[in-house]
Amino acid sequence: MNYEEQLKLQSFLDGELPEGDAREVAAWVARDKQAAGLLAELRHTREAVAGSDQAVRLPESREFYWSKIQREIARLEPAGTREARAFSLWDYLRRLAVPATALALVAIAGFVANRGLTGGGGTGVTEFSVSVGEALTYRDYAAGATLVWLSYPADNEVAQNSSSATLP
Amino acid sequence: MADKDYSSTDDQALVGAARQGDTRAFEELVVRHRDKIYARAFSMLRNDQEAIDLSQEAWVKGWQRLNQFQGESSFGTWMTRIVINLCLDDLRRQKRQRTDSMEAIEEESGGVERQMPILEVNPTAGLERAELRKRIDRALGQLSHEHRTVLVLHEFEEMEYKQIAKTMECSIGTVMSRLFYARRKLAVLLTDLKKESST
Repeated sequence: MNYEEQLKLQSFLDGELPEGDAREVAAWVARDKQAAGLLAELRHTREAVAGSDQAVRLPESREFYWSKIQREIARLEPAGTREARAFSLWDYLRRLAVPATALALVAIAGFVANRGLTGGGGTGVTEFSVSVGEALTYRDYAAGATLVWLSYPADNEVAQNSSSATLP
Repeated sequence: MADKDYSSTDDQALVGAARQGDTRAFEELVVRHRDKIYARAFSMLRNDQEAIDLSQEAWVKGWQRLNQFQGESSFGTWMTRIVINLCLDDLRRQKRQRTDSMEAIEEESGGVERQMPILEVNPTAGLERAELRKRIDRALGQLSHEHRTVLVLHEFEEMEYKQIAKTMECSIGTVMSRLFYARRKLAVLLTDLKKESST
């Protein structure tokens, strides 16, 4: 019996052969004592091994085993992270609102300044300074007023408490 | 507030709750399947502590990947695949760090299993279940990890040759020859154990 035939016998035992081949092997085993012997040996081993690990039990208490898993999960994902994810759309809109407001203020300030220059009233001297992501300043020397718009991230405590201030 | 009692909740519902961040639901899944996951790690690694550590790592991975569980197989089967893959990675790492085992050398140097005489007597006949388990356990421990893994995936996980080849990243031919060698070697080892116990 060559190696290929030995492997074919095993495939027959494991139900891995197509129907036609399986019939051929069954006929061969019926007339060949050596093939029948090898098939029986392989079958005994397979049957002995199958299910032999079913009685294996974890040699640690439930609490001890779980505590390590729990610690690792907590380390990977701190409590509250999932809840925080639910508000991510709101955070996104809030962040979007800051530059949009700044742009609107620039437009308003430009409009006011333009009116001051063309209206002939006062000196018409105004000044803008825009620092992206930080602050927008509008200063009207004629009116003696300065408007500062702070655009820090909304979760910044200072920005939340005083997002704008008028300076003398 | 008292903890919810999940003892009568099915796995699918527990997975759903765990996905929402409910660690109590996940703990219930761990309690239900911990023995099977540990047993699979132990059958492949043959070391208590390594099997505990790796099975715990598998549970953490399972938690992280809960959204990938589609319910195509049972939760237990899904978790078993995770622990098998972790064990295979670990065994590959170990193998890179040491020389090949004698069994692997034998396999590569000419297929001793082809010349082994056929054993006419079943070496496990008449054994008590507990004694049989003990002997198989000892015999499995003497196989190389490649041969043991093929045997574990075929006999315990009931995988087909094709699935084993995919899992172990080798050809179907290699799976067949490793399985054949593992079975024949195991038969010899079991016979030796039988002789040992009768003397």
